[in-house]
Amino acid sequence: MKWATIPALAMWALSASASDDLQALTLSGFATLGVVATDKADMRFTRVGIDRPGTERPDTGPDSVLGVQGNLRLGESSSAVVQVVSRENTKGNYAPRPTLAFLSHQVTPELSARAGRLRIPFFMQSDSLNINYAHPWVRPPEEVYGLSPFADLDGIDLLYRVRAGETDIELHPFFGTSRISLYPDTKARLKRVAGANLTLSHGDLSVHLGHAEARLEINWQDPFYTALAPALRDLGRDGIVARMAGNDGTTRFSSAGFQWDDGRWLVIGEYARRQADRYANSAHGWQLTAGHRFGTVMPYMVVARHIQDAAVVDMEDVRSLPPLPGLAELISGFNASRNLAQHSVTAGVRWDVRSNAAMKAEFTRARTDANAWGTFDPSSEAAASRMGGRSINILSLSVDVTF
Amino acid sequence: MSHSRIRCRLRRTTLSLAGALAFAATTAHAAEVVLVTSAASGIPALTAEEASQLYLGRRTTLSDGTAVTLYDLPGGPTRDRFYELLTGKNPNQIRAYWSRQVFTGRALPPREAKSADDLPTLLSNDGAAIGYLPDGQINPRLRVLLKLP
Repeated sequence: MKWATIPALAMWALSASASDDLQALTLSGFATLGVVATDKADMRFTRVGIDRPGTERPDTGPDSVLGVQGNLRLGESSSAVVQVVSRENTKGNYAPRPTLAFLSHQVTPELSARAGRLRIPFFMQSDSLNINYAHPWVRPPEEVYGLSPFADLDGIDLLYRVRAGETDIELHPFFGTSRISLYPDTKARLKRVAGANLTLSHGDLSVHLGHAEARLEINWQDPFYTALAPALRDLGRDGIVARMAGNDGTTRFSSAGFQWDDGRWLVIGEYARRQADRYANSAHGWQLTAGHRFGTVMPYMVVARHIQDAAVVDMEDVRSLPPLPGLAELISGFNASRNLAQHSVTAGVRWDVRSNAAMKAEFTRARTDANAWGTFDPSSEAAASRMGGRSINILSLSVDVTF
Repeated sequence: MSHSRIRCRLRRTTLSLAGALAFAATTAHAAEVVLVTSAASGIPALTAEEASQLYLGRRTTLSDGTAVTLYDLPGGPTRDRFYELLTGKNPNQIRAYWSRQVFTGRALPPREAKSADDLPTLLSNDGAAIGYLPDGQINPRLRVLLKLP
């Protein structure tokens, strides 16, 4: 509620001050209407930290989004930006929330400083995750982008842009905090986020490198955790519980990617990695996309993989527990429900119907790892035990517009 | 196809090539699109690199720190050709690129003139403003900053 009033006030302030100089205020927006369906009734496609796994088939929740943005110029070298986005959240409603709300100041021609709510730029396309029109895909591959459900950065960043020879260099350090709701009813938080991205653009090629570190808090409220935590404490194994949830973790995100776009061929590749010492697993993912434009139509292929490096609860710990019925299964379920490991192959097409509108269709065949739920949520408690090692076909359709 | 017809076609090609060369020689400064400012403006001539940095939103000022206001023409062949000549990007690439710049809060796109006829007035009202026009549409109120190609 508190956050919902801020964009309203800011927009009011923007429009009030803009009455003097209408040219100073720019309003723009973007929207996607997307549907996604799987061919397995017990596995619902979901994007961790973004939508609530839906019972609807097809589901409009994962991809549909509406965003409105106001840019206000404040003199020659400053500006204010507010962006409000409505999309299905993990509570299952579409309450609008501010996704950008910052003041920007051009310190020198090369350097700008921004403070307020920014996008958290952990990976190559993270800061444009809502802007589907800017991407070839219906959505950036979950095998990579599922590594960070965090979206906001409340803090400051610097954009330092210089040109060396024929290469454009953007150095982007950032600092702040981030919080998010995970389905169901779980609060997660990053504190003391510190990171930097480097982007080099040379002709048709651009290369991205990024690294960030943060303190991690997660307080799970899902059935696995709420069943396991008291049981483990009764066994005197508070140490395991302390690694499952709490506010004393650290995490690191690293990524490297490239994009080649010569107007005909589009090739995008990215590798990303998340390390967490507790509460979340450590994993890495990669994706490779190749597309070819035929006028306004671009067919493309994507191969992607997500691999777990370390489960949340170590199997050593599980083996050291007394053989109580169901305990090991519960811990395996806890680990698997936090493991996005899968691989997928996607064939898709983007059609730029007219300026500022694109239609996309994607067909994906994904296979979850044996000990993972992948990017899916079980439709029932019974389904939760058969999420691993499954092959699923996913059909996604979307229309993206900007205005 | 007979040999005479091929020769005929070859000769026509040669003639048109020669014609094109002669044309290029007499109009060495012919351009498709020109970047312009008001005749009264103090903005110096720009290199293609400087102009491209501005129209890709990587810079908002000239190298001496002077802020400039950029104008776009409405969507159409001149605008598409301008970006193609200046940045090498086609219209779909440019729109995707700019949507990312705008909605990540990095940059604001150029303001849009209602038409090519409106642009000279907009530029004469603002000495810090630049825009582009087809080469044939330049009048004495405007000064050319860069010719493309």
